[in-house]
Amino acid sequence: MIMSASWNQLFFQTTLLLVSCRHISTKTPGPTPAPLLPIGPLTNLVKTVEVRANESHTVELLERASVELVCKWAGNENKPQNVTGYWTKDGSEIKNSSVTVQLEKEQYVLKQMFTVLNETDLGNYSCVFGNEAKAEFILAVPQIGEKRDKPIIGYANDFMVIQCKIDDTKPVPTSWKWARMNGTEKEPIVAAAESRRYKIEIEERKTKLFFHKMTKADAGLYSCGAVYAIGTAYSQVELKIITFWEPLKLFIGILVEVIILVAAILIYERSQSGKQCTKENGPNPDQRNSMTQEENNDEEGGSAVRQRKV
Amino acid sequence: MPPSAAADSACSPPDGGWGWAVVFGAFISIGFSYAFPKSLTIYFKEIQEYFCISYSDIAWLSSVMLASMYAGGPVSSVFVNRYGSRPVVMAGGLMVSVAMVMASFGTTIMHLYLCVGVLGGLGLAFNLQPSLTIIGSYFHARRPLANGLAMTGSPVVLFTLAPLNQFLFDSLGWRGSFLVLGAIVLNCCVAGALMRPVGQILQPRAAPQSLSGGELSGGVPTDGGGKSQSCLRRFVDVSLFRHRGFLIYLIGNVIMFFGFFAPVVFLAPYAKQQGIDEYSAAFLLSIFALVDMFVRPATGLVGNARRVRPRIQYLFSFSVAYNGACHLLCPLASGYAGLALYAVFFGLAFGMLSALLFEVLMDLVGAPRFSTAVGLVTVIECGPVLLGPPLSGALVDIFGEYKYMYYACGVFMLVPGIFFFVMHYYNYKKLDEERRQSAAVVMRTSEEAA
Repeated sequence: MIMSASWNQLFFQTTLLLVSCRHISTKTPGPTPAPLLPIGPLTNLVKTVEVRANESHTVELLERASVELVCKWAGNENKPQNVTGYWTKDGSEIKNSSVTVQLEKEQYVLKQMFTVLNETDLGNYSCVFGNEAKAEFILAVPQIGEKRDKPIIGYANDFMVIQCKIDDTKPVPTSWKWARMNGTEKEPIVAAAESRRYKIEIEERKTKLFFHKMTKADAGLYSCGAVYAIGTAYSQVELKIITFWEPLKLFIGILVEVIILVAAILIYERSQSGKQCTKENGPNPDQRNSMTQEENNDEEGGSAVRQRKV
Repeated sequence: MPPSAAADSACSPPDGGWGWAVVFGAFISIGFSYAFPKSLTIYFKEIQEYFCISYSDIAWLSSVMLASMYAGGPVSSVFVNRYGSRPVVMAGGLMVSVAMVMASFGTTIMHLYLCVGVLGGLGLAFNLQPSLTIIGSYFHARRPLANGLAMTGSPVVLFTLAPLNQFLFDSLGWRGSFLVLGAIVLNCCVAGALMRPVGQILQPRAAPQSLSGGELSGGVPTDGGGKSQSCLRRFVDVSLFRHRGFLIYLIGNVIMFFGFFAPVVFLAPYAKQQGIDEYSAAFLLSIFALVDMFVRPATGLVGNARRVRPRIQYLFSFSVAYNGACHLLCPLASGYAGLALYAVFFGLAFGMLSALLFEVLMDLVGAPRFSTAVGLVTVIECGPVLLGPPLSGALVDIFGEYKYMYYACGVFMLVPGIFFFVMHYYNYKKLDEERRQSAAVVMRTSEEAA
């Protein structure tokens, strides 16, 4: 639920009180009917950002929270006394969020408290100063860092493992879920039902999807989701299935090339007369060998005769 | 009957002609041996998720592959001594291919360990040793250049495999990619086909092939149906352990390898810790690889220069010490520009060292015994190579900072560098003395005969 600025102070104090008392059971006051608040305290997060034209900051949220977003702007050359500021969510202006901001200590400060209760409350929030400057806050669940842009290649009748992992620096998700993308629709994969085809293994930060025996029908986009209290982070991976014929073609091609080359070299050699042992020394006979060359010449004559007899 | 590698080098090396085709074959072969394990790391994340295992489990795959590759060294040497380079490289290529194809149908991680790790690693070992050996039989005067060019295969193939692997992974997943990689690795068989044996005449040889180390006992016997004595000697050439040059090389290398690979592994994480973003940190590695790529053939050229060649051990010692100095100064580098400069200098140092690494061994023990020598060296180096990065990682974990690791790596490379300088000065003196002595003996016997 989004609170208007006029209720801001009141709610802030109420929240603090409630947090310190460790139970929340009141409804949130506001212009629109409020949903039932869940049991459990809301974590308080204050994120301050200084605006410098199109800056964007990501705020990671795991569970329901109350977030205060603060925008500071140094102003332009004119520096009027008042500036109108408002907030937008995902591009469209939030109703009743427009306020007049006073110039304090050479800057304009725009604050707003937002409660994030479910996945729809996440998104891109922007503060706008009178159509001149704005900053963006991306409220989202922790993203899965490892992006796989290249498809995974699997072979028909082979087994395969697809893995999704969340960084060690990010918090552990409550659970994982897998789905198969059919166009834009997600078809969830339930391992228990089709246990002959799939198996899902879940460790805290990792999840693996096993395919026991793949067929061409298994090719496509798969998405793994890290489930947090507030929402799910997705990562997609493409699986391509090929048969062994593809690499085999290349293998046979290269094999043929090798056979041709080897045959050519051996035939060329046979067509030339057998290489005789050259008796002349090279242009620079090394001193080390000069002695042995002489001895060799003596030996060669004798052994050659012996050889011919054999 | 296929001639053995030892017999090949009894013929005078052509130093050109078909040798350059062999260098190209070695380039491919060596490139795959070094770059293949590194490039597989792209698939680790997906395989880890697929089999539901931890990161250290999948990292074991790299270690098993590397261990298998290094431990397979002596086995590879035995086969090369017996059958020559060509069949071994082709067999190696086939082994890795079969390993990858089998792995693409794998159902457990153990399956992958055995196929890619053990079999794949062994196959790569069968690629590495013979490639190095055959260069020694084709080149003598231009050998440093040939070695430098062949070793350039490692950064070039890595540069090509990395984006290729990414592309395969995006279009085919890890299974399909392993299958296609199995085919790509078959190109090692093409490289093997290029490794035509030099000379077709088998010949036994009693005289030593090199005077290094003053070891005047016989070299590796080469007739096919040898006695049991020669059979044993073929497996383990223990006489190498009495070879002065070989010992110097071995001791220095074992210490050096503790600090060799760790700085490469930790360059990107160090950069990220300094606050540099992931892409710029990866770009540092690209700078390093690019510099490495050009420095290797350049070092080969330098090593071939008339003044440098007779004293090439000093160049190697310098490159080892230079690596050490680079790492010791690394913590002084600040900001991205400093690290980029470090990457350039490190690339220079790493490339120089890699280009000369096997050339100096060939120079010390001579081409015929090189195969056995390199097998022994790789199996002994297995330890430091595998322990180096985890130990450095432990240093980083204990101190929480990378600079102590760099200091340690710097020391581990500077000390062997100085050791090499000193020992080779002494070794060269001894060799000159021995050569003078045996020249005097020959003169005397020829005078007596006349």
